[in-house]
Amino acid sequence: MKVILIMLLLQAVVQAQEFEILQKDKKFSQKSLVLKVGDSVSFKNEDSFAHNIFSLSDIKTFDLGSYSQGQARKVVFDKEGVVEVECAIHPNMLLKIEVKK
Amino acid sequence: MKWRMLRSVFRVSMLVLALQACAAQASDKSIMPREIFPLKETALAAEYRGKLVFGRYCYLCHGVNADGNGRKAKMYNPRPANLLLSDKNDAYKALIIRRGGAAMGRSEFMPPWGEELTDEQIADVVIYLGSIRQPPSP
Repeated sequence: MKVILIMLLLQAVVQAQEFEILQKDKKFSQKSLVLKVGDSVSFKNEDSFAHNIFSLSDIKTFDLGSYSQGQARKVVFDKEGVVEVECAIHPNMLLKIEVKK
Repeated sequence: MKWRMLRSVFRVSMLVLALQACAAQASDKSIMPREIFPLKETALAAEYRGKLVFGRYCYLCHGVNADGNGRKAKMYNPRPANLLLSDKNDAYKALIIRRGGAAMGRSEFMPPWGEELTDEQIADVVIYLGSIRQPPSP
């Protein structure tokens, strides 16, 4: 039984994908993104100033803090639903992530 | 014939009244902008601008009333500062806004706004915060 569970877990880990979203010119590189439960997104700052990416969505609440050019921070999306991602420093930045099963 | 004349007199009277109303409104408008938009160099103008900057950038954590109860506040422990009761002086406030919390040994979630806001905007926010600060209870 344990072996099966471990196999299933390993399979899930192997299948999980990592996406990259850039922050450039005070914009996200995409306005929306569709991914599967278990996938992750790396938020990379390509601007010469700091960004502070966060989400207050029910299914995924996070705050990556302020980070400067060249730095990236990763978030794993572990529940199904829609997540709105914003930047605390640049109120016009918005990214919608749809997490599917 | 008389009826036609009466009607004409009535129309002219209505026109005069309408013109008077328009003139009164126009003279009101000439006063309003000065009341709403005070001269740029005045402290009142700085406070007004500071309120706008605060409402765009700071409210997320510190709340629209600057009491520390913003939309993001629930995510943090300790919670964002209640700026109505802040005991920090203006120079300190300007510094923490410009450099961010981490550089000042405080919350890393307070961004370094010096990269986004101009010196004037930071000074305006400091003036606005001074204007809403509540006196310490005795």
